Amino acid sequence: MAASNAAALPAVILGIVASGQVLLAKLDGLSPWKGGGFGMFSTTDDAGRRAVRIFVTAPGRSEELSIPPSLADIAERAAVHPSDRQLARLARRVVERERRAARDVSEVRLECSRIVYAAGTLSASTVPTRVFTYRTDAPR
Amino acid sequence: MCRLTAIILLLRPLEVWWIAPFVLIGAGLSLIFPAAAKRPLLWWSVAALIALHIAAIWPLSDNHIYLLAYWCLGIGLALASEDPPATLARSGRWLLGAAFAFAVLWKGVLSPDYLDGRFFRVTLIEDDRFADAVMLVSGLTPQDLVANRKSLEPLPAGAELSDPPPLKEPRRFRALVAALTWGGIVLEGFVAVAFLSPKPALLEHARHIALLAFCVFTYALAPVAGFGWVIATMGLAQLRRDQGMMRVAYLSVFFLILLYAEIPWAGLLDSWVRPLSP
Repeated sequence: MAASNAAALPAVILGIVASGQVLLAKLDGLSPWKGGGFGMFSTTDDAGRRAVRIFVTAPGRSEELSIPPSLADIAERAAVHPSDRQLARLARRVVERERRAARDVSEVRLECSRIVYAAGTLSASTVPTRVFTYRTDAPR
Repeated sequence: MCRLTAIILLLRPLEVWWIAPFVLIGAGLSLIFPAAAKRPLLWWSVAALIALHIAAIWPLSDNHIYLLAYWCLGIGLALASEDPPATLARSGRWLLGAAFAFAVLWKGVLSPDYLDGRFFRVTLIEDDRFADAVMLVSGLTPQDLVANRKSLEPLPAGAELSDPPPLKEPRRFRALVAALTWGGIVLEGFVAVAFLSPKPALLEHARHIALLAFCVFTYALAPVAGFGWVIATMGLAQLRRDQGMMRVAYLSVFFLILLYAEIPWAGLLDSWVRPLSP
């Protein structure tokens, strides 16, 4: 490989990854802080200001679950990048956990939100960003 | 460069337990056996392991982990080339320029809450890692910070308090926010241009001074030593043999970042200065 090509390859990969991160952040909800696009320290939209709430439904049951430590990592991933894939993964893990505890689940609803600060006053409000519903009887 | 990069890998091990040992072994080998550090395969392997780490915990990796992967790939490619120092210098220059260019793109164009000061106003109040420096520079007390944090607690969407508690943002706090917001983007923009410029010789000293200044000021506050070490090492890789003073400056900054990370300097300074203030 020519020296100039060898020197350029890492920066070319950086450019491709970072461009992809910009697209994911703008089109698919990825936090600008993550994903290799160097958007850290540019916005308040970071992992700490995003949340996912978990609601489970079954015959005779409808409740919000607090996120247990065993699901904290996967819930954080879903909050940082609330894509279908991440949210479905979290929902499946919730179903598995509930069934291990012999609790019935027919639907998992995940509500994603983030904190937004008003220009000037900095008044903070929680803004819903996505609702994802996972039905256990849906064909996969 | 290989040894400094190995030190970075050892100072901040990766979080995934089934990847970290292999990276630590690679870094250890390159430090103990100079011949191993000259093997491209070692650095390609480390780059691949870091990439695997990024994929394994997607999307939670910080940006400096990506940069570290590109840099290890660059070291491997340079070692396999006919002129390793020149290839590595070019690789580092383009990586630095590209990383800073994307950082400026986010701050200046893509983020809705950076240029109007919201990001630093909120972060300096809420992020406890900045608290010592904020109190030292702005004169806010711990009680002021607690009250300000209370004011920034979110309401449900659409809700509005009839009598919202006022934020305490003294003039020195506002000045700090403005300095960080505009100083940050201007300095990062200059670093990006200086390192990507096709005529780098014109900017040779200026780009090094800008990068060193960025490291000295940024990592005194920002709790991301890993990023500082990687960019300082990339800057060091640009130097010719006759640039001894600049080499000393980069190595000093590398260790300064380590000291910033390990010593609560702002808290100590604040505890000494505060009793003296009127």
